[in-house]
Amino acid sequence: MLISCNILKKHIKNSETIDFVSLWDKFTIRTAEVEGVSLRGNNFDGVITAKILEVNDHPESKKLHILKVDTGKETLQIVCGAPNVRVGLIAPCALIGSHIDGIEITKRPLVGYDSYGMMCSGKELGISDDHSGLLELPEDTPIGKDIKEIFPIEDIIVEIDNKSLTHRPDLWGHYGIAREVAAITGHELLPLELNTDVPDKKKLKIKINNPELCYRYIGTKIDNIENNKTPIWMQIFLYYAGMRSINLLVDLTNYVMLELGQPMHAFDSRVVKNIEVGLAKDGDTYTTLDGQERHLSNQDLMIKNGGEYFAIAGVMGGLDSEIVEDTNSIVLESACFEPSTVRKTAISLGLRTEASARYEKSLDPNLALTAANRFIKLLRDENPNMEFGSAITDEYPTVQTENQIELNKDYLYRYMGFEVEDKLVVDILTSLGFKVKKLAKKFVITVPTYRSTKDITMPADIIEEISRMYGYENFKHVPLRMDMTFGNQEITYDTEYYVKDYLANRYNLHEINTYLWNKTTFLKKIGVEVDNVKLLGKSEDNILRKDLNLSMLEAASNNINNYEEFGLFEIGTTIINDECERHLSIMLVRNNDNLKLGYYQIKDYVYSMFKSLKNIEVEFALISDKETYYNNELTLGVLNEGKILGFITVFNRKVSNQISKKKVFISADINFDNFVELSNNLNTYREVSKYPRTTLDYTIITERGTFYKRLEDILNEFTSPIIIKRELRDIYLDGDTKKVTIRYTVGSDEKTLTREELDDFKNKFIEHIQNNNLNIIEQ
Amino acid sequence: MQEKLKDLVARATEEAKSIHSEADYLNIKSKFLGKKSELAEYMSQIKFMSSEDKKLFGPLFNKIKNEFEKLFADKLEEAENGSETLTFDPTLPVNDNHGSLHPVTIVGREVTNILKDMGFMILSGPEMDSEYYNFEALNVPKNHPARDMQDTYWLDNGMLLRTQTSALQNRAMRKYGIPLKACAPGRCFRNEDLDASHENTFFQLEGLVIDKDISISNLIYTMEGMLREVFKKDVNVRLRPGFFPFTEPGFELDCSCTICDGKGCPTCKNSGWIELCPCGMVHPNVLEEGGIDSTKYSGFAFGLGLTRLAMMKYKINDIRVLNSGDLRYLEDFNVR
Repeated sequence: MLISCNILKKHIKNSETIDFVSLWDKFTIRTAEVEGVSLRGNNFDGVITAKILEVNDHPESKKLHILKVDTGKETLQIVCGAPNVRVGLIAPCALIGSHIDGIEITKRPLVGYDSYGMMCSGKELGISDDHSGLLELPEDTPIGKDIKEIFPIEDIIVEIDNKSLTHRPDLWGHYGIAREVAAITGHELLPLELNTDVPDKKKLKIKINNPELCYRYIGTKIDNIENNKTPIWMQIFLYYAGMRSINLLVDLTNYVMLELGQPMHAFDSRVVKNIEVGLAKDGDTYTTLDGQERHLSNQDLMIKNGGEYFAIAGVMGGLDSEIVEDTNSIVLESACFEPSTVRKTAISLGLRTEASARYEKSLDPNLALTAANRFIKLLRDENPNMEFGSAITDEYPTVQTENQIELNKDYLYRYMGFEVEDKLVVDILTSLGFKVKKLAKKFVITVPTYRSTKDITMPADIIEEISRMYGYENFKHVPLRMDMTFGNQEITYDTEYYVKDYLANRYNLHEINTYLWNKTTFLKKIGVEVDNVKLLGKSEDNILRKDLNLSMLEAASNNINNYEEFGLFEIGTTIINDECERHLSIMLVRNNDNLKLGYYQIKDYVYSMFKSLKNIEVEFALISDKETYYNNELTLGVLNEGKILGFITVFNRKVSNQISKKKVFISADINFDNFVELSNNLNTYREVSKYPRTTLDYTIITERGTFYKRLEDILNEFTSPIIIKRELRDIYLDGDTKKVTIRYTVGSDEKTLTREELDDFKNKFIEHIQNNNLNIIEQ
Repeated sequence: MQEKLKDLVARATEEAKSIHSEADYLNIKSKFLGKKSELAEYMSQIKFMSSEDKKLFGPLFNKIKNEFEKLFADKLEEAENGSETLTFDPTLPVNDNHGSLHPVTIVGREVTNILKDMGFMILSGPEMDSEYYNFEALNVPKNHPARDMQDTYWLDNGMLLRTQTSALQNRAMRKYGIPLKACAPGRCFRNEDLDASHENTFFQLEGLVIDKDISISNLIYTMEGMLREVFKKDVNVRLRPGFFPFTEPGFELDCSCTICDGKGCPTCKNSGWIELCPCGMVHPNVLEEGGIDSTKYSGFAFGLGLTRLAMMKYKINDIRVLNSGDLRYLEDFNVR
């Protein structure tokens, strides 16, 4: 929201003692975030008011005119291209030696005729965006005056972050900001000049069908409006505040909204019959002021006139009631609507307006009457002959009351962390418009209605008012007192860190973060379809991932041009069956020739991660139930005590070819929620045997295509109390056969094994292997 | 005699050079220091010397003996430790193969370690969450204008992607009760268009302290101390009012710009301050919703921007790098 310091100054007594440039740092730390402060009106100098005495056609140009201009001191010849030149017009004139936007105005010839200055448009002076002609000043403007002296062109415009005003309906207008500034600087807020007439006229017909949605509706008919021209000062202000000047009646509604925060509407009274406020009928349509047809629902609150829709309450009016050129009588609406209804309607129609932004903040219904009287006062300033056409008709079913809050001193001190003097509390709250009764142990506080609608309802809210005005920079810094309660710890975060650290620092893998959704173009590229929970309102990149490996594949594909072989990992969320699951995904990218090596590496990584961090020796088993974009012949389940903890796999050729024909993409996926929960196996101390061990090597011959797993199963069937361990020593491919050398280490805790015991072991083992139809060679 | 000794030392020094193995060492040691060595013979003659000579040669023999022992031992050590004939090229470049941690992981670890030292527990929560935890339990009812402050990703299963780690507050209160000192690093999501300083996916770290007599003064102390530890230097912090429905009062915490030390630079838009961390006293409604009596207990909470912090620490000027998975940017963050 843009705030004009010129307007603030009008509302603060002795405002000349306030430095309006440096003030805003303090405003930021007391009230709300100021996003920028800019000085206006300093882009030119030396521009005076001047009157056109003569208008002569330029002999050489159709567009240009040669003017004689009265500057109050002399008559100058000025060549001017504006279409609205006419004798008697008073307009700004930049004299020779003056500057506009850094350019000096000099005497110069325009198509053969010297021009001794330049007549200016509003845009050239930076006070409007109208460049269609000269800025037309009122007839009673004194001539020869510096234009900055007679109009409020020099101003300080402050931008306040709207988000930081979400909870402050009172700050959506200049008067509320002025109240804060006055409180911050210790000044006095001036009362508003308002209409005080109570016309003894007939009431308008106004009916509120839904008092729970329309808290107040004030309608006033005003006749005999002769002047619909906005004064220059107000035009400048509206422009600075980011609005366009249209005509006096429309501008006044906007001005009052910007000044007080109360949205208003002026209807052409020729079309107003009887006003009714109620919900729309489902499926009806209505065309708003901007010419758009809107589809309504029975949740939308409407203003009706003579039974027809007239305006969308709190959002926007319609075309038929618009103020037009010859409007000389209006019905002024100043109303208060239930905030969430306005908000819902504005969102569902996609129509967020200045009015709806204010209503949804919970405006004070009492403001509606103040604003109406402010409008009437300002209208009368420009139209002394205006007359009331009706009573100020006020339908106000539920009156907004002031909240009463009791604030215990003890609670206040506890909350702030130290004690504050009563006087300070009283002064701060009084400066903000609160009434305070001081008792021994508490304060009884009456909250003004403009803070009572939602903002301030409980003691903590009052504490904020006291604290911020006291100044957070003045607070003590107090350490938390010692708390020696034995606390809980959740291990998830630490476990994640240990795993990341392990993978990065032991296996030289790189941790990355990827998005929670799959990238649509990537899935298309690799020819994979994923169906899962979707983001609403998006058609691209909208499917949440259920396989982290796919995210890693995408990241890998983005790196293959820069790196030959590399490894990535991420611990991230996936959405599986509508539930969040954390997964660890490791991705090794290898040249095709290195598939075997990479595959064994990833297997090692997974195994040693479980072994090192959990002391769990996982097992691997071929599985085939994974997605078809994997090579399911190379898919291994990672198991512990029969439970699948994850899997190792390779993206199938069809998919990886879409990325590179020279690379293989080897993945491991571990359910990390399960990993965290696995308890650490504890190895207890074991006595080492004092007796010597013996190693026995055997080579077993299988068919070339037999997986080691098959042999391992056979070996596992053979048990003996003297086996200490078994290792795979070597695999040698020889023609159609595979020669697998294994080594047993045997021994006993109680004695040195005898020759007979060893022979017995050997014989039984060889027999076992032969019984499984395999050849065996004793080494 | 003097001459003989000089000659002996010279010979021993020369022969010591041929010590390449333990065997050489033993041989030479026995030759020069053994019972039948020249030196041993000289020493055996000492008893026949005049008392003057005794005074002179006694210490000298011992000195030479000690020198030889040291000389031979040194030569042996030299021989064992370094081969003079190189079988490899020691000047080859190292195999610079290293992994990396994500910058946010490193910074998150630093901050959680600091908080852990202060007795905070570290919690984790789901990235896909319900409207209740993300909004309603945080005093943001439906149709509250504060919902506009965060552009939310809504899902077709009725859930949402959490917009803030505060979504964990209610769970933490319900699960652990009072006293509570917890932090929760995690990923959050806002439906925003990407540019160099805006991401739809970013990390925050929630902090939550609830107990008797927790005050605004405690909050200020804790935040300042934490940031001093994070940045490893004194930083000034300032609080200014900020509105979050789940706090009362709510603050924006600015810290003095670490780039220019508060003098004003492009990073801080010449203000000298960097907006780092929304925080505030936990709103009484939020406490009550978490099953905590707000008349007896109070607390504070903060939401530190971990992503922002990582960018500040590593001077990363484009936020999109962090989710890019592009190793050209990320592979260097291996320092803890």
